[in-house]
Order: sequence, then C-alpha cells, then structure tokens
Amino acid sequence: MKPAIYRLLRDCTLILLIASALGVTWNWRLLTDAFYGKAPSAAQEPAPSTSTPPLPLGLMQVKEFLDRGEAIIVDARSPETFAKGHIMGARSLPLGETERLFPEFTRTVPKDAMLIVYCNGFGCHDSMELGKKLQQEGYGQVFVYEGGYPEWRDAGYPIAGGER
Amino acid sequence: MTVLPTNRLLFLLRLGLGGIFVYAGAVKLFDTVGFAGSIAAYQTLPYFGNYLVAAILPWLELICGLLLISGFRIRPAAAMLTGLNTVFILFLASAMLRGLDIDCGCFRETAAKTPPWLAFVRDLPLLAASIYIFISAERKGSQG
Repeated sequence: MKPAIYRLLRDCTLILLIASALGVTWNWRLLTDAFYGKAPSAAQEPAPSTSTPPLPLGLMQVKEFLDRGEAIIVDARSPETFAKGHIMGARSLPLGETERLFPEFTRTVPKDAMLIVYCNGFGCHDSMELGKKLQQEGYGQVFVYEGGYPEWRDAGYPIAGGER
Repeated sequence: MTVLPTNRLLFLLRLGLGGIFVYAGAVKLFDTVGFAGSIAAYQTLPYFGNYLVAAILPWLELICGLLLISGFRIRPAAAMLTGLNTVFILFLASAMLRGLDIDCGCFRETAAKTPPWLAFVRDLPLLAASIYIFISAERKGSQG
C-alpha cells in the first residue's frame, strides 16, 4: 500500500476514533440508559420540570408493555382520526384539546403510571408534543411510540374503531 | 506562501465547508435525544443505533470542520466529509423514495422543518466542495 493512502486511512480512522470516544463519553449516561431500554434518569425524578423529552419505544416493546398491562396507551390524534381506528385500549387525548381534557385525565390516571403516546407514525410530531405536555403535568414515565398507529395496524396487532 | 487563485478558492471552500460542519456539529451536541429522534424518523437504524449515531456524529462533524478550518490534516478531514455527505445523500434519497414526511435533522432548526428534498439539494454542493478540497489538497502535496 502506498504510504500516502496508508497515512490517509490512518488519519481517517483516528478522526473516527476520537469522535467516537468524545461522543460516547459525552453521552455516556444517555447511551447506557438507551442500551438497557430505560428512560434517562431525569425523567424519573418527581420534579415536573424535566428537560429530557420522552424516549421512543419500538413496536415490540410497546406490545409487551400493553400485553402485560403495565402501560397506558394514549392517542394524540384528533377525535375523528381516533374514531376511524386506534390501538386497542387507547385513551384519546388529542393534542389540540389538552387544556380541556387534562383535568379529567390527571384525575383518572395516577402520576406514576407509565404512559405511551402515539400518533400517525414517524412523520408525526404530535405524540412527542403531547408527551412533553404530560411530563409538564407531572407524569414521570412518558414514552413515545414513534411507529404509531400505521405500524401497529400493519403489524396486525389489535385495533379498535373504524370500518377496517 | 504565495496566494494563487486556486489556493484562494481552496481556502474559501475550506472555511465555508468547515464552518457549516462546525455549526452543524455544535448545535446538535447539546440535544442528543432530539437528534436521535430525527435519525429514528428515517426508520433505518435499530433503536440503540439511533442513539449511538446521535452521540458520535455531531463530534465527527465538529472535528472535521475544525480540521478543515485550521488547515491541519485537510485531506483526511475532506475525505471524511465526502463520506459523510455521501451517506447523508443516500439517507435523504431513501427518505424521499419512501415518501417520509420528516425533518432532515441536519441542523437543529427551531422553526419549520427542512424536508428531505431540500436537504438533498443542499447537500450536493457540499459534497462537491468536499471532493474538490480533497483533490486540490492532494495536488498541493504532503499537506494531509
């Protein structure tokens, strides 16, 4: 191998290694949490002013939590969309009507409940917005199911409402 | 050192491209979770992979940008950025083909989201610049 190419490869590898070392060190806490599928510890503190946005959950994780009855699934979409079809057992909490619906929601759902929020899949940011609002309301365990209703439906998991 | 026209173009491109990547890296350093969400929106990597890339990529952009600006190890930095831009373009193209309505996650824009096609078009000159820097720096000899 020519020395110039060898040196180039060595330098590129070095850059990559240094960036990896810095990145992993800088985010060590978050990465270990994410690796074990846990929420960052900031989200578990009782203080309502959590700065960590809700962590995403994958399809299989959501299915397991729901099967074991350990989590409450929350639908952030509009009532009309909810009526057309939603994940079985989901509570409708449209992002646009949170002001009106939060009192009822907080009265019936304890603050230490595990909440999984979803909307219309990866392109939809409403679930993340609603998740943040729920955190501000004092819910410590809020997750976002980013695959949302489309992924759940296409996986053939239980849905309710609508014609399909 | 005499400043020839090609050198001046190389210098300007180094500053421009380096500056863009320093900025792109710096704004994402402090929002790893948000950036991981942007990567997850591409629906390409596994769950933990999103976080790993979100942790490392901003540092990579920052380091390569700083190297380009400082003039130290220009060729490896330009090579890395050529690789990064190529990967970005492939990711964006795949997002466009799948019709994903997502933010590109390039910078941490607070206002409107940048659709994949715009980021794709924006990435092409960046790719060209990084390739140009790589080749010109080589011609100048053992700078890298």
